[in-house]
Amino acid sequence: MKFLVVDDSATMRRIVVNSLQRIGFTNTVEAGDGQEALARFDASVTFVITDWNMPNMSGTDFTRALRARPDGATVPVLMVTARSVKEDILTAMEAGVNNYIVKPFTPQVLKEKIDALLPAAAA
Amino acid sequence: MSIHRTQEVLYETEAALRLVDHGLHGLRDDAPDIEPAPFTPTHRGGLSELPAILERANAQILGVLSRLRETRAAIESTALEKLASTHEKIREVTSATEDAAINIMDACDRASQMVDELDCIDAEPTPDRERALVVRGGLRDELFLMMGALQFQDITSQQLAHASAVLVEMETRLIDVARLFDANADVGEQHHPEHDAPDAQTYDPNATTRDPEARQALADEIFTAVRAPAA
Repeated sequence: MKFLVVDDSATMRRIVVNSLQRIGFTNTVEAGDGQEALARFDASVTFVITDWNMPNMSGTDFTRALRARPDGATVPVLMVTARSVKEDILTAMEAGVNNYIVKPFTPQVLKEKIDALLPAAAA
Repeated sequence: MSIHRTQEVLYETEAALRLVDHGLHGLRDDAPDIEPAPFTPTHRGGLSELPAILERANAQILGVLSRLRETRAAIESTALEKLASTHEKIREVTSATEDAAINIMDACDRASQMVDELDCIDAEPTPDRERALVVRGGLRDELFLMMGALQFQDITSQQLAHASAVLVEMETRLIDVARLFDANADVGEQHHPEHDAPDAQTYDPNATTRDPEARQALADEIFTAVRAPAA
């Protein structure tokens, strides 16, 4: 399993990467915004965790762009964001996000969401 | 200067100008009826033209008053609400920072006690390795909790970005008000506050550290109710 962690906050990237390591996933690659994430994404990435509010390209725009690529159409995308109003959550779903975590999150919630999407990631 | 004080100043200015207006009307009533002549700096018609000049001045003052009223209404309707929300955000930043600091300090205390406990286990003639294993697990949990508590930094930075954006907007409005009185005013000529505004794409104006469980439950509920795209 290789995770692409996308967040403009270095603190948050570090927290997510450490959380992943703690639950057994050590293969990670990081990006600071959607544009960088698109450049770093390749077929070896099996799971994407992305923030929403970022410079240059937001998490939703990144997800839409990813879904338009043949190699990114089915990769699981988990959004981790401070946005939590209903309209935002629906927008994320429409963009192609598979699940949604509200900041601040606990490692347990992160593990639950990843576990739920693992079958898709392994497919 | 607070919005309330600004309003008071506007009211006081308006009242003073009304007094001037009243005085001007009195002067005009005392003067003989004449047609106002166009004013030029070189034209010297004597005191007989004073009422017409004052009439024009009066009209200009009334125009300024009208624009003051419009400005006051605009500031009142848009600024007050935003400033109140910004004030609330800044208070939340203080609160979130304090909560995170307390959580981290509590975790430090618990971690310190666990290290003491591990020392005690090591000092025993036959150390209880199973107990030590449990304590080490707890110690890792505490260290991890400390790291998780640092998520407040991302959220509070978004709250501060929102507060900064509101202040930049207020600064722009105040510059607009200054230009209302003097279109040639050089205020803001060198300084463009909008250039200092944080990128709106990088923060959520509603970002909060409060009620994460309830907000997560809402997201889960929506994802359950609306079928998520198949991965």
